[in-house]
Amino acid sequence: MTLEVPLTDANPAALKETSNAVLSNNSDSSTAPASSSDVVIETRGLGKIYRDFWGRKKVHALKSLDIEVRKGEIFGLLGPNGSGKSTTIKLVLGLLFPTSGRAFVFGKEAAEVTKNERIGYLPEESYLYKFLNAEETLDFYGRLFDMPASVRRERTEQLIQMVGLQRARRRQLKEYSKGMTRRIGLAQALINEPDLLVLDEPTTGLDPIGSREMKDLILRLRDQGKTILMCSHQLADVEDVCDRIAILHQGELKELGRVDSLLKVQDVTEVHATGLSDAAKDEIRAVIAKHGGTLLQLDNPTTTMEDLFLDIVRESEARPGRRSGS
Amino acid sequence: MRLEPNQFWSLSEWLFREGSLLYGAALVITMAAFGFFVCYVVAMVRQGPGEGFFSIAKVIYDLFRTDLPKTSLSRIWAIAKLAFLEAIRRKVLAVIGIFIVGILFAGWFLDKSADDPAKLYISFVLTATNYLILLLGLFLSAFSIPADIKNRTIYTIVTKPVRPTEIVLGRVVGFSLIGSVVLAVLGLLSYVFVVRGLNHSHEVATIGSDGRNGVTDVAGAHSHNFRLNEDGKGVTDESKGHQHTVTATKVNGETVFKVGPPIGNLSARVPVYGSLTYTDRNGVVGEGLNVGYMSEYRKFIAGGSLSSAIWNFENVNESDFPDGLEIEMNIEAFRTYKGDIVTPVRGTLILRSPDETVESERVSFLVKESLDRKVIPLKLSGFRLNKPEKLELFKDLVVDGRMQIIIRCEDSQQYLGMAAADLALRAGEKSFAWNFFKGYVSIWLQMVIVICFGVMYSTFLSGPVAMVATLASLVLGFFGANIDTFFNSQYNGGGPVEAVVRILTQKGTMIDLDLGNQTLEQTIRTIDYGLMSGVSTLKSAVPDFGRLGTSDFIAYGVDLFDGLLARHLLIALGYFIMTTIIGYFFLKTREMAA
Repeated sequence: MTLEVPLTDANPAALKETSNAVLSNNSDSSTAPASSSDVVIETRGLGKIYRDFWGRKKVHALKSLDIEVRKGEIFGLLGPNGSGKSTTIKLVLGLLFPTSGRAFVFGKEAAEVTKNERIGYLPEESYLYKFLNAEETLDFYGRLFDMPASVRRERTEQLIQMVGLQRARRRQLKEYSKGMTRRIGLAQALINEPDLLVLDEPTTGLDPIGSREMKDLILRLRDQGKTILMCSHQLADVEDVCDRIAILHQGELKELGRVDSLLKVQDVTEVHATGLSDAAKDEIRAVIAKHGGTLLQLDNPTTTMEDLFLDIVRESEARPGRRSGS
Repeated sequence: MRLEPNQFWSLSEWLFREGSLLYGAALVITMAAFGFFVCYVVAMVRQGPGEGFFSIAKVIYDLFRTDLPKTSLSRIWAIAKLAFLEAIRRKVLAVIGIFIVGILFAGWFLDKSADDPAKLYISFVLTATNYLILLLGLFLSAFSIPADIKNRTIYTIVTKPVRPTEIVLGRVVGFSLIGSVVLAVLGLLSYVFVVRGLNHSHEVATIGSDGRNGVTDVAGAHSHNFRLNEDGKGVTDESKGHQHTVTATKVNGETVFKVGPPIGNLSARVPVYGSLTYTDRNGVVGEGLNVGYMSEYRKFIAGGSLSSAIWNFENVNESDFPDGLEIEMNIEAFRTYKGDIVTPVRGTLILRSPDETVESERVSFLVKESLDRKVIPLKLSGFRLNKPEKLELFKDLVVDGRMQIIIRCEDSQQYLGMAAADLALRAGEKSFAWNFFKGYVSIWLQMVIVICFGVMYSTFLSGPVAMVATLASLVLGFFGANIDTFFNSQYNGGGPVEAVVRILTQKGTMIDLDLGNQTLEQTIRTIDYGLMSGVSTLKSAVPDFGRLGTSDFIAYGVDLFDGLLARHLLIALGYFIMTTIIGYFFLKTREMAA
């Protein structure tokens, strides 16, 4: 059962305005200032204009972006298509050059090659060589980090186990499903045990189980002290894993802050309880009325579709052949 | 076989005496300055003069300060291996299949009744291999990086600690590796094809009443005459560029003849070339005559006069000629009257010491107009200061390895034509297999150059455009000599604009371009000059593939000079460095995700 109560104003429009105000106030300043050694990514007035062959301006993709991503956090870039998320990631990785401003990674210019030694990157569609198999793929990317053969073999084994591709390790990637391709893509991003992981739409193409596993993995990596920058269209994914987010729209930064602060509606109280009788619920309604509050909702909560799906799949795996709930 | 005198130069002569090193250095400096200027102009337009200069300077600084010193062999090898695997899995080895089919058909069509079947066979396999390998290099190299950029697989490369130098070098090494594997297989197949294709055996068909003269049967569209010595051994005459040994042995009272395998058709003669000068009818040093041919390769001397062709040799070592001085010559005759067409024009050969005080007796010969061999004995008659004397070749005529050979034409009003490479001393013989291998090394060098150009173009052009650009470089390289001829105005009719005007105004190439307006004529010539200068400059920047081809050496059975091969290796190295730097520059300044 969930119960939500606005303490001051029952008008939804007013509520939205208020919460927006809270969001704005809860921007980056709400978190403790980071020391410069904690800053993994920093952009200063970062801007990008795409031009055509003749140098004429086509799109102003990013306008003066200032963000800092700190060590050990999961930072999400959120926004609709064309908002500048991917452009920001590409600028940070040095795949694009800024038209204005600068981007630093580990204190180095984004175009500096040596920064890549500590970075893992999972592109939007796991752009890998389809004629290689999983082992060859990981061995190849390991070589790019000058890793000794024994270390490459060990890491390849670990990562193939981790992403669950043991049985497909010798198949060429062109035979892989999209989910498998994402998993080997993630494995290549982790080959060098990076300090910073840049994930472009990490759950795209994954089924709900794969998506959940990916999110769990992201959280585990964060717990291991890695920094993660990700962008996603999946708002639920961002909400589930990100510590802080930046919301972009039309190339401009619209919001920046901790997810829990940004999502918190200050003037609504939420109580979760179990085992309450109808009489007890009536009593609660009375208490709210007595204190001048407005009861917005008193109901049994619904689970998420993701949780429902995962429960069914788990039960099916545990007891094959039986219909769920029967 | 045509050889320009500069092809005889040793590596040190080419590098130092003939100024190639200086020319190369000047070319590098000019190219670097030109490249910097063009890049600066582009950067200035995009970023302004100050920022533009800074960004160009930074790329150059990065190249020498970090990217070059920190280039990792391991990463180059990783990318090379990837390129190799990519090529293998894209079924590049099918080229070998195409070649096998090609030589199977060639086995039917190559004419064994030709004068020199060995030349035909070797020319065929070398030319086929050369074109096939260059095309392979072209297609492999031009599409790879653009495909990576198009498929965005390059994202996962450049976000690793990979430097642009490593991407360029990795590709070049990888494609060269796969090309080398294909070339090695093709070379092996070619060798087997040539050796097996030319191998044949004869039986003795008829034997004379004396039991020593005979004729073999016809095999491979030819037969041989032979004469046995008293010991029952002999050698056949030369036919189709080879001979056979013949031995006669008594078995149970009957004479059994055995004809051996062909000798001399697969050879690698080691020639000693000299520099050639001419004298006119009065014996005064001149330039030789032009009898009206467009080609200036051969110059002519007039018959029945003191007009001479004089070869000056510098490396005549006694150890190379233990059985006498073997001379190979290929002299052309030009007749001003038909006369007795069956009887060849007559020539004279004289050996002379470099100080011109001692000379041999005249050796008369009939000009065969094909390869002719003469052996001068080690002891011979001659003249010292015009007094007859018995001479020893290496004591009296050769001084410090130097000697002269003089050719004159005996028949008045007839002419003999020759180039420097048309007369050489045969200083022994090397292994044909080794020479064949060197010919393939030469093809390999050309392939590497094409790959270098393909990879360079692919760093800034899309796949099809890079392929066309590489192909254009190849064509420009093959026909570069013609461009130089055009540019030097050796052809009548002017440049492209003047030629169009002449076509439109119906004016022949041999008359003046008289348009009635001198300013207009001058403008046309100036535009033509600009166009031809541009093309000529472009031509200078691409390798002269015509000169890099050495298949004639192998086909004509001449040992490919190590100095020439080393020169080609240096040229390839120069282009490798140039294209790598240009490729680096473009990759470094390119936005991979743009």
